[in-house]
This record gives sequence, C-alpha cells and structure tokens, in this order.
Amino acid sequence: MPDKRTTLANSSLLVLLLLAVITSLSMGTVQVSPPDVLQALMGNADPMTAFVVNELRLSRVVAGLLSGAALAMAGCLMQTLARNRLATPGIIGIDNAATAFAVASVVGVGLSLAPSAMALAGAACATAIAFGLAGANGTRGYRFIVAGIGIGAIAGAVTQVMLSRVAIDAANAAYPWTVGSLNARSGNSVLVLAIGLAAGYGILMLISRALNTLQFSDAVAIALGTRLKATRILGLALSVLLTGLAVSVCGPVGLVALLAPELARTLCRPGKVPLTASALAGAAFMVVADLLGRTLFSPLEIPVGIITAIVGSPYLLWILLKPSRRSLT
Amino acid sequence: MTTLSPARAVASRALFPPFVTAGLLLFLVIIASLLYGAGPVSPSDAFMVLAGSGSEEARFVVSELRLPRTIIGLVTGLALGLAGALLQSMTRNPLAEPGLLGVSAGSGFAVALAILFGASTATLTSFVAQLGALAGCALVIAATRVQGLGNDPVRLILAGATLTGLLLALTSMLMLMDQRAADEIRFWITGSIAGKPLSMLQATLPSILVALVLTIIVARPLAAMALGEKAAVGLGHHPGRIRFLIVLTVALLVGSATALAGPLIFVGLVVPFIARAFAGPDIRKTLWLCVPVGPAVVLAADVVSRLIAAPAELSLGVVTALIGAPVLLAIVRAGRMPSL
Amino acid sequence: MSQLSNRLRSTLLHTLVAVAVGSAGLGKALADTRTVESAYGPVEISGQPERVVTLYEGALDAALAVDANAVGAVITRGGSDVADYIKSEAGDIAIVGAPAETNIEAVIAARPDLILAPPRINQQQVALLSRIAPVVASNVPMFQPDSWERETRLFAKAMGREAEAEKVIGQVKERISEVAQVVSAKIPAGQRDAALVRWMPQGPLVMAEGLFSASLLQAVGFELTDKDLVKEGRPHSEPLSLENLSSMDQSWVFLATLNEDGDKALDAARKSPAFARLNAVQNDQVIGVSGQLWTSATGPLAALAILDDIEAAVNNIQP
Repeated sequence: MPDKRTTLANSSLLVLLLLAVITSLSMGTVQVSPPDVLQALMGNADPMTAFVVNELRLSRVVAGLLSGAALAMAGCLMQTLARNRLATPGIIGIDNAATAFAVASVVGVGLSLAPSAMALAGAACATAIAFGLAGANGTRGYRFIVAGIGIGAIAGAVTQVMLSRVAIDAANAAYPWTVGSLNARSGNSVLVLAIGLAAGYGILMLISRALNTLQFSDAVAIALGTRLKATRILGLALSVLLTGLAVSVCGPVGLVALLAPELARTLCRPGKVPLTASALAGAAFMVVADLLGRTLFSPLEIPVGIITAIVGSPYLLWILLKPSRRSLT
Repeated sequence: MTTLSPARAVASRALFPPFVTAGLLLFLVIIASLLYGAGPVSPSDAFMVLAGSGSEEARFVVSELRLPRTIIGLVTGLALGLAGALLQSMTRNPLAEPGLLGVSAGSGFAVALAILFGASTATLTSFVAQLGALAGCALVIAATRVQGLGNDPVRLILAGATLTGLLLALTSMLMLMDQRAADEIRFWITGSIAGKPLSMLQATLPSILVALVLTIIVARPLAAMALGEKAAVGLGHHPGRIRFLIVLTVALLVGSATALAGPLIFVGLVVPFIARAFAGPDIRKTLWLCVPVGPAVVLAADVVSRLIAAPAELSLGVVTALIGAPVLLAIVRAGRMPSL
Repeated sequence: MSQLSNRLRSTLLHTLVAVAVGSAGLGKALADTRTVESAYGPVEISGQPERVVTLYEGALDAALAVDANAVGAVITRGGSDVADYIKSEAGDIAIVGAPAETNIEAVIAARPDLILAPPRINQQQVALLSRIAPVVASNVPMFQPDSWERETRLFAKAMGREAEAEKVIGQVKERISEVAQVVSAKIPAGQRDAALVRWMPQGPLVMAEGLFSASLLQAVGFELTDKDLVKEGRPHSEPLSLENLSSMDQSWVFLATLNEDGDKALDAARKSPAFARLNAVQNDQVIGVSGQLWTSATGPLAALAILDDIEAAVNNIQP
C-alpha cells in the first residue's frame, strides 16, 4: 500500500527521468528539438531525424536507463540486507569481478560464453567469496566490505593481466569499457538485462513486506513472520543478478548503486525499502551522466563511469568524513 | 598493553632471529633478481658473470639491466615498507596503507598532470610525485582528524578507496584528452621498475635519506604514542609535532617510491604485516624488520613479473596487487580486527 | 566468437543479396550503376559520389589520391587529427570518430553519399551506417604485400574513379623501382637486413613483416624480419623486455613512434643502454620515422611518402 509521500517521490522521479530521457534524445552532434524528438518517437518525423532519435540515441538511452535502474536496485537491496548504507555491489568488488569475467570472454581466453553469462558468474563468485570470508557475520559489519575491497583489487589486477595479453591497440580500445561505458553495449546483453530487471522487480515487489521487516532487529523480523534466511538469500541472489547483468551492458559504473538509493531514502517515507524510487533515481542518474559524457567534450566521448566517479566520489567522501551521530554500520 | 615489560622482553628476544632470516631471504631474492630475466640470458650465464666471467651479452644484461632494476627495487621496497609501518602505527589501523589510502594515487595524479603538460617519464623530477604524495597524506590526516573516523578503520579505508577512485577517474580524463600522453601515463600508472635509469635514483636519494633520518627520530616517540597520547606527553613527547614529522616522512618515502616505480599498491600493507607478525607490537622492531622484508617483497614480485609473461613482461603493479590483496583478505579473516 | 557469427551472418547476407539481385534481373541496372564487392556483400552504387566519408586511414588516403571529395575522416591512432602526412591534402576535414569508435551522428552531419570503412568494422555498425549512405567495407585480407593496391582499386571503384586509381598505383610502382635502384646502388647486398620497430613506453614492438610499410621496405630491396615474434594476424609483437632487444638487432632499424617526429623517439631510445649497444645504433643505421605514417597509414599517398623517407635515409649514407 503505497503511501502519499512515496507516491509523490516516485512520480517526481519519474518526471525527472522523462525529462532526462527527452533531453538526452535531443542533444548530440545532430541537434533535434524536444518537440521533434516527441514526433520522432511517435513515428511522424523525417527519416533522418527518426533514424538519429529512434535508432542511434534511443537504444543507448534505454541501455543506460536499464543498467542504472538495475545497479541502483541492487545497491538498495544490498544496503538493506547488510543494514549498512555503504555496502553496495561496487564497493564490495562485485563490479570488478563481473568485469574481469566479461573481459575474459571479450578478449577470448578460450571460453566461448556470452558476456552476460560471464559477468553473472563473476558477480556470483565475488559475492560468494566475500560472504565466505566474512564468516559468521554474514553481510553485516566491516569484514564483508574490506574483503570486498580485496576481491575488487584482485579482479582489477586480473583484468589488467588479460588486457596486457592482447594486442595493444585492442587493449586501448577495451580501456573505456573497463572504466564503465555505454558505447560497447551489445543488443543481446541489453535484452537479457531488460528481462532480468523485469523479473527481479516483480519478485522484489512480492517480497517487499519481508524486506521492510529486515530493517528491524532479527527478533522483531521473525516475530513479524519473516523467513529471515530465505529472504536474505533471495535478496542477495537478486542483487547479484541485477549487478552482473548491468555490468555486462555498461561495465563497472561506480557509485550509481550508492547515490541513487541515498537520494531515494531522503525522498521517501522512512521505514520502507525504496526500491522503485531507487530504480527511477538510478536510471535518471545514469542517463544524465551519459549525456554529460557524450556532450561535454564532443566529439570526444568520456565514458559514463568516469563521470559518475567524478560526480559521486565527493559525495561519498562527504558521507564518510562528516562527523556522524550514529555509526555507519 | 598493561603487561608491557614482559611483552617487550619477548619482542626483543625475538627480533634477532627473524631479522637474520629476512636478511638471508633478501640476499637470495637479490641473487634471483640478477639471475632471472625475460631474455635469452639464462641463470647459468648470469651466474658466470657473477663469478667473474661470462659472455659480453650476459655481462651487459646483468650489469646494465638487471642490476639497476634490482637496486631501484630495493629502494622502492624499503621506502614503501617503512611508509606503511609508520602510517599504520600512527593511525592505529593495520589497513592504513599508502596505496589504499590514496597517497599513491595523489602522487600518480600529479605525475599524470606533469606528463600531460609535456614532461616525459624520463625527465620527470621526483619533486612532482612527492608533492602529490604530500597532498594525498594531508587528506588522509584531515580524514583521521575528523571526529570518530580515527577509530573506525573501515571508514578510513573506504575514504581512501573513494579518493583513489576519484583520482583515477580524473587521470583517465587526462588520458582521453591527450592520446599521446595516454600511452605514457597508462604505462606509468601500472607500475614498473624496468628500464628506469639510475639517474632517477640519484634524484630521489636525498629525500629518501632525509626520510630515513626522520624515521629514526620519530621511532621512539611513536612507540611511546602507542601507549596512548597521555603516556607520550608524560614521557616528554609532543604528539602533534611527531604526527607532522611522520606525515612528512611518509610523503617523502611514498613520493620517492612512486617517482621511481609508479604507484605500487599493497606493498605498504604486506611488508608491515609480515614484519609485525615476527616483531610483535613494538613499532621500532617492526621498522627494523621492514628494512629487509620490504626490498625482498618488491624484488620477489619483480622477478615474478619478468618470468610469468616472457619474452614480454607483466607490470610490477599488477603482481604486487595479486600478492597483496590476499594478504588484505587474510587480515580481515584473522578474527577481530587487530588494533595497534 | 562474435567474429565467427559475424562472418556467418555476412555469408548469409551475401547469399541472400546475390539471390535477390539475380532474380531482380541485371538488365534493370542503369548504365552508371555498379556493384562493388564489400566485406559485407555486394553494394550498389550509382554515379560518382560527391561527398565521401572515410572511416579508415587507407580509405582516406585512397580517396584523396584519386581526387575524390572526402568530407569526413577518423583521427589517426594516437593523434587528435588525421595523420600529418596527409593533413595538407585533407584540408579542413571533419573528424567523425576514432579508428575503433565511429561517432555515427558526426557521420550524419557530414551528409555523405558514400561511406568507406575498414575491413574490421562490425556488422552492427555497417547496418546502421548503411541507413545513411552505401557502405563499402574493405574485403581485402590484411597484411599482404598487395593489400593496399587491392584496397585502393576497391575504394576507387566505389568512388567511380578507377582510371585515377590506376594512374596513382602506376606512380607508386615507378617510385618503388626508382628507390630500389638507389638502395641497390648505395647498400651492398648482404647488408640489407632490417627490422621495423615501434618504440613504446612499455618496450619496443616489432612490427609484422606483412605490414604495409614493411612490404614497401621489402619491395625496394631490404630483407625484413620480425624474427617470428609476431603472432599470425597481429600487426606487431607484444612489447619486448629490454633484455630481448638483441632480437631486433639488424643492420638497419627503422624506428617509429606515434609522436609527430621520429627524432624525439630516437633520442628517448638512445638514452636506454640496452638500445645504445645495438649494432644498428653503433653503426648509425637507425632511421627515426613517424609512426603515424609508418605503422598506422596505408594507401598510395602513404606509399609515396614512405618511399621518400626511405630514399632520403639511404641517400644520407656516408660511403
């Protein structure tokens, strides 16, 4: 039962997202006015405008939108499970591991699996290892995070090794992808992501009540009838799924998973897990960041991951460094 | 910490054997570094050179290629090991490693800027790298001064990781803006001690010597500070002044090492971790043990980097990350976070 | 894997288009309409295209060599504009991306009526670009001695300027025999062994024997070797460890960088003791050359410029 404040937050984020999408569709080397964009989307534009808007830009915007939403939902979910706003897939190394695996399939080390499948496998491995190392504490506490930093560093180094084994010019071409870019996306990965996102969102809405109770202590959650273990495992699995699929589309774009849920929590009513708002905020953030990357230094393109890092890092530093009333963990 | 004197007695008894063992190990690694390479000069050819004979080719490879990088590796390892031990002791955080905290990234970003503005890695002064390291250090210290953060190791590490990410993103932007500089920067930021001229060592040697003297000066007060600020003040030390000196020392050490080899992550974590395991909690013993352990770790990693991809070479930074990250995991795994 | 499926798709497409063209009847084709074989099947082009966008350095070179109106090009590898050797010919040409990354919107803005593409362009890009103008991707196997000739002829046919192409190819062949005579007059047989190397911060890359400039060196009489350091199908070796520099030691070393001037690279290299002791360096037979021209470019204009470099270097020899 959505309350008033959440509905308001969701609808304003939706409006924001739509504005970002329209702006993104209208800006580029070829300028198209927003009314023409709408005409093109409805199929009434001249062929060249329709081609630019519907085929060149729309597929990129959709890829950004879906991956931003998936990363943000994964982040929100993991934060909830860990009861720690810093525990997002990027920070605990899942992105990097997924990238390492996906790069392995791209540079071809003899494995002939699709990047989506490989990225998923990488994400799952990283999570499993972080979990194993965190021991009895599960996703709670600092160990999970520090283990994740270590896993991320290993995966990053392995990616470097693989890139150093291919021809230099190929490695240079792959470089933007290792920092996160929407340029190298493949249609199939986007399709798989769309399916995964739809399925994940559906399941999350079904278990949203149980997720809400996870914010209380275990005893309270159990008293409220939540099957703790099952909910946690399902939530973690979905988080890994969403992250892996998003990484296979856009690479390890950092901090979307942290900032979007942060914004969503500020807007929505406390006590709920703002999954929908996070997804909308993440999608908007990603679309805007990619727009900046495309247009700031045009015709040169800045990978979207660099933009999110430059925009997001100062905010994360601020969270970490500001004197806080309560502990973060 | 209350039963200090017996602990010290144990530590002092225990220092000599590990120091000698580490020294022996270092000696072996140095020999390996001179004997093994990615090229056609085999270990036995190189051994002939060490024994005083050998072909002209082998003599050249050993004395002009392997010897300089061995010396540079020794200095880099020494500097990073000591810097890590000092920083960890001061912040009382076993994870406070210059690479993880963004000190190396600050140094790296400064160098990338210099390359973009026309300096080439060969002509680069270590001054730029040290300046960057100092800026990185200052940020770390600012972070630890923030209320609450000093006692929260994870937050400090995360802040460092975030800072590193930010600086790497900015460096990537520089690389996109100038394709020519990109190749040079990309090579440089992965870290390597191959083909670096000894003249670079001469440029950094003065600051390393200053840093070593400073290390000797701050060792005793730092050990006192481990007992608590009040105890240190009672013993006549000035914690504020000591901290300032340590920051300066760490910046000099990390800046020099980065100028020589590029940002090598995790060395400053692995070396003190090993040293502490044998020397116990006394920072002075740890520092002593870092002297043979640091160079041994860096050189061993370098030998691996030469052999694993022959006839090409892997970058040293990748190898230290692959060796160091598991140590980070081991520290995390080792039950309660050990406090210093 | 994706290459394989691309190849499969292109074969399928090829067959489909061939059937379609066949059943439509060739009689319908207008007099000035021609079919050009491209990497992704035959492409129909009519008349003489007036605005050509080139997504490949070899295509830009070919277009300018046959006096076509090139209105868009990609930057040279490691640069921020077209290669220096062709800058004056290209004039104020619009940049539409990098070799590996085409900015399709910039291509649209250039309003081309023909797009010339590299052999390695992927199917997805071709599909999009074909919506803008006919796309001819080179179907010539890379790293063969006559790759540039066949590519020039292919692109010239697409541009409707085959006669001009034959003329400029003839010029290049003439220059080759001129320079070959200089080489055989100046350098005794048995001392013509050479290596082509790109100097990188990571270490030197030995370039493949089949590379464009390497095959020109061979055509004028140098005996070039890559010492089997280059894997099949790769343009160059992995960066060599400094300990392995002796494997590139030939009588002559042509040393390229992506810097504007090869001299700077030579200076940087000479500072390295491992490089300084090579025989070619000791005998002062290292020729610094532009990497933009020597290791990235291909085409008749590039051939003429490279041949000029070789001639100048050989003429410099003190007997």
